[in-house]
Amino acid sequence: MTKCRPIPSHSVGIGLRSPHVSEIAATRPELAFLEIHAENYMAETPALERLLELRRDYPVSLHGVALSLGSAEGLDCSHLSRFKALIERIEPMLVSEHLAWSAIGGAYLNDLLPFPYTEASLDLFCRHVEEAQEALGRRLLIENPSSYLRYSDSPIPEAEFITAVARRTGCGILCDVNNIHVSAWNFGFDPIAYLEALPIEAIGEIHLAGHHIAKDVNMLIDDHGSRIAQPVWELYAAALRRFGPVPTLIEWDTNVPALEVLLDEARDAEELAHVHRYVDVA
Amino acid sequence: MPKSWPMCTDMSTLLDLQMRLRRAVLGGDTAEIVAAIQGDGLDPAARLGIYRHHAFSTLGDALQSTFPVVCRLVDKRFFAYAAHEYLREHPPHSRCLVEYGADFADFLADFKPSKDLPYLPDVARFEWALNIAATVREATPLQAEALAAVPAQQAAYVALRLQPSLSYFASSWPIDIIWQANKEDEVPPIDITSGGTSLEIRRAGEAVAWRRLDPGTFASARRSPTALCSPPRWRPRP
Repeated sequence: MTKCRPIPSHSVGIGLRSPHVSEIAATRPELAFLEIHAENYMAETPALERLLELRRDYPVSLHGVALSLGSAEGLDCSHLSRFKALIERIEPMLVSEHLAWSAIGGAYLNDLLPFPYTEASLDLFCRHVEEAQEALGRRLLIENPSSYLRYSDSPIPEAEFITAVARRTGCGILCDVNNIHVSAWNFGFDPIAYLEALPIEAIGEIHLAGHHIAKDVNMLIDDHGSRIAQPVWELYAAALRRFGPVPTLIEWDTNVPALEVLLDEARDAEELAHVHRYVDVA
Repeated sequence: MPKSWPMCTDMSTLLDLQMRLRRAVLGGDTAEIVAAIQGDGLDPAARLGIYRHHAFSTLGDALQSTFPVVCRLVDKRFFAYAAHEYLREHPPHSRCLVEYGADFADFLADFKPSKDLPYLPDVARFEWALNIAATVREATPLQAEALAAVPAQQAAYVALRLQPSLSYFASSWPIDIIWQANKEDEVPPIDITSGGTSLEIRRAGEAVAWRRLDPGTFASARRSPTALCSPPRWRPRP
């Protein structure tokens, strides 16, 4: 027996970037939500005040980039406390982090670094997700990263690793479609097979973004600095067919263009979501 | 999940691997991590280079955003070089990048390639003070009536605290003039021998404000145990 799930009228949001704040405040474009990088709002800056004003009109998705859940060391309690304080002020609709690490030995490297996918690292990562969910009082969504290197001793495929994390910890998955495309191209795996390995019920959000090709090393680089590429739109359509309607984010972090360009991308995503508004659910 | 996946990475091994990757990302030797990376048709060093480039460019951008006038004084290429050398030795501790760069001024003071700009470290100290003031919450000022309501016999035990954003900064160079001039499109001539300056810096609404203080006021304000990050406190004596 199959049944259908209708899509909400608006499911697409954009990343809030400082050059757009005034225009969004003035024009209040129709968007399902705004997403922010948590670490950009942990200091008492005027940007935080502006965000709190926008929060009255828009749901906010809080996207952490520095919890370093994959670090061999324990979680940073002071950072976790600041994260929790921000959650209490923002009351976000979603809270997400990454399948990655970014800090070790007291140094924060400001990147989402890969770690080997093994039984031991799975135990460690799950423990950190559970500790973070407990401390924050929220379910996390964990995002699949884009990767440029793989370890020789990393026997668990990434899609199976992140699925195991979701099953063990109860966290959700933030499916970054652009990251799947980038990693699949860089390592030569099938992106559709990756999507099909993810558990439908765990998918809580989708990310869409641009990338560029580094010709010197013949790799795709996930830089969130351009329009979404056609193969990523196609993979998004495949994701919608598999997962049904999911809150979707247009990410744009470098070479940030006029707000209208992001809204244009959001409209395209919304149209695609509308086409796939009914999904067969077994 | 198949049971054949080996327990191939215990935590000490993972810690060691991450420390090795950290050193490679921060510009150290890549040889000690290369063996752990799958080639996949490309030199592992080139793969590491992507992560290294990202770390240096984004952290360099963060420093440039905090120290825009230092960057303008030395130009972008020199600033990128100085930032590169700084973050190799002083990577961020905080995961909030607006808090990165507390000791950049001290680093510049010892940085030989910029020794011909002796005022540069103080420009960096001033920009750091502006940055601190812009990132702390303003406290609600105490109303005079609240102070008046304190019984006279308890007045000696009242603890007053200054605005958390407040700091005092003195230099033997006219740092405020240098800074302001370099915020303009065309930098007007500056007489850097015109003498030093004593400044009070604080957040004012959404902006940061500063003013010159005369030597007497500055000495008096500074006599309290102030520091850029920790506001002065007067505590009751036992």
